[in-house]
Amino acid sequence: MNQKKTLRFYITLWIAKFSSFTLKLLRRNATYFPGKIALTLCPNFMGMLDKPKTIIGVTGTNGKTTTCNMINNILEQNGFDFINNKYGSNIDGGIATTLIQGVNFLGKSKKDLAVLEIDERSANKVFPYLTPTYLICTNLFRDSLMRNAHTEFISDILNKYIPKETIMIENADDIICSHIAENNKKIYFSIDKLETDTKSCENITRDIRVCPNCLTKLKYDYVRYHHIGKAYCPNCGYKCPENVDYRITNIDLKNMQITVISKDTEEIYDIVNSNIINIYNMLAVIAVLKQLNLTAKQINDSFAKIKIVETRYSEEQYKDYKIITQLAKGMNPIACSIAFNYTRKEPGNKAVIMILDDLHEEANGSENTAWHYDADYEFLNDESIKQIIIAGPRYLDSYIRLLMADINPEKIVHERDILQATSKLKLENLEKIFILHDLYSIEETKQIKQKVKEIIDEKK
Amino acid sequence: MKIEILYPEFCNLNGDMGNVKYLKKCLPEAEFIETAIDEEPAFCTQESISLIYMGTLSERSQEIVIKKLMPYKQKIEELIENGQVFLFTGNSVEVLGKYIENEDGSKVEGLGIFDIYAKRDMLHRHNSFFLGNYEDIELLGFKSQFTMLYGDNSNNYFSKVEMGIGINKESKLEGIRKNNFIGTYIIGPVLILNPKFTLKLLNLMKVEEPKLAFEKEVLEAYEVRYKKFKELAAKGK
Repeated sequence: MNQKKTLRFYITLWIAKFSSFTLKLLRRNATYFPGKIALTLCPNFMGMLDKPKTIIGVTGTNGKTTTCNMINNILEQNGFDFINNKYGSNIDGGIATTLIQGVNFLGKSKKDLAVLEIDERSANKVFPYLTPTYLICTNLFRDSLMRNAHTEFISDILNKYIPKETIMIENADDIICSHIAENNKKIYFSIDKLETDTKSCENITRDIRVCPNCLTKLKYDYVRYHHIGKAYCPNCGYKCPENVDYRITNIDLKNMQITVISKDTEEIYDIVNSNIINIYNMLAVIAVLKQLNLTAKQINDSFAKIKIVETRYSEEQYKDYKIITQLAKGMNPIACSIAFNYTRKEPGNKAVIMILDDLHEEANGSENTAWHYDADYEFLNDESIKQIIIAGPRYLDSYIRLLMADINPEKIVHERDILQATSKLKLENLEKIFILHDLYSIEETKQIKQKVKEIIDEKK
Repeated sequence: MKIEILYPEFCNLNGDMGNVKYLKKCLPEAEFIETAIDEEPAFCTQESISLIYMGTLSERSQEIVIKKLMPYKQKIEELIENGQVFLFTGNSVEVLGKYIENEDGSKVEGLGIFDIYAKRDMLHRHNSFFLGNYEDIELLGFKSQFTMLYGDNSNNYFSKVEMGIGINKESKLEGIRKNNFIGTYIIGPVLILNPKFTLKLLNLMKVEEPKLAFEKEVLEAYEVRYKKFKELAAKGK
């Protein structure tokens, strides 16, 4: 239910619309400021704005952007007219900007559908004014300790602010995420036991180890990564949900297909990217788009055309070598651990070049490196990884972390200058070169990739 | 040599387990006892624990840990008086204070071993760098916390502040030290970031001929960060 529009609201809306128009005229980014200014001038502005009838929200620690990008692509390719914050920020200012774009000068909604990536930490600033029809929660892990602290903190915010009318679409293999908004209507998605699942956790961190009800140590039928898997409390029965609405029963990496069962119907989809987290993201996308009555064909025809955006993952065969760039968000130990695990498990001998420092944070002084000790650098201690090159402002801290993972120092190049360090790349016996980079190191990643190509060229 | 890690299933936030990992590298022969929440602490049942360590934990976990440690309050007091070496990092020291106050004024009673109390502000997380002096050692670190500590620690502080905050934003005295109990809000791999302090700690633990793991590397990283933090301190950051 929208709040009553006031004169202040209309004036704010016009100022925000005008600022958006002016910024676009100046070819400046208009994806955050108009919303920010609106919320400053009229704090409950979002509550007064008309919203689309259907709002798909996507929140969670990892995979929000990729999930939203897939939903947006599929909806666009199927002719839906909708607003989204693909180019904007996922906090209140960015969401308000997107909603402003979706209304006319009287604040009336022009669109029937919105897809919004919503930062989980910003739930307290968004959900009091906006009720998603469906809210995907991809997963919940520890993230940047400086901002998100720990999963209990984030869970408490989500539980407090998610509207009770919202239908939750949750990862049933995540015992934290699957218990968010406990009393809301739920749609669960899950991936059946995989051959690669283990009996015990290989990761350093697990954000839930004991039952939140009775403090008994949680047990697992199987562990996938961190706390993802089938967890249960042997004492009080607290567990991951068993009645799942969308289930992947088979992952066929050879043919790059997944089998999804829902309501006794079996459907096959093409895999966009083989990283397990992206398969979860695909499943969340299927679950939400089925609510909009899209058919498996409509969804899959688009999956077949989708590529993960290059700033997150890219592959290029360059002469005899495959160069892979992969996002490994600095300050986010889980995202880095997943990237390290993916790297070690990819077939073939490889070198890994890493620039994980948050260069944005570096600009403010020095980076808090505590998160390194929550990340599984141990996964890089693998026979298939022949060389590790680490560079950037905190290269000495990363070097020590690699030594702590018992990685042979002879395998490691550590230098501050990224190109100087990259120049030490040894191509002998390699098939792949991984470049693992932070979100704020896209330009540096391009430079490294170019340098790698020059080294390959020189070899001939 | 025995080292007890209290409640690692809860007290493992902010990279604090890096300290345990580093101690294992420095003391490969030592026995590390990980005490779970449903177990009696080893400091009650075993003699000669060289170090009792507890890391950062969530607010809910603080309340669980306080309940579990309450029956051992007297024992902990005795150990502190008798010179037992403790290292509590992040917000773990709060469980030993008088109480922790929530934003709504409600209070969680602590063990009351130290005459201090904490105030939570869950929507304003404090993040800062830290540079300070502990005896003749310059300490470096990071802070990231929802709480501030209050009370008079002028006679039992851990470190004087050169850059950053003490137990609260107005304080220039960081942490709590009583005999060989050390409690600091510095988070993460404190022992890796501060090799000179780690040597001191190993000496307190009565390690014979203490030797740092990756000594050359941690000292080099320390010197680089020390120079950087000094520059930041000079700029008044």
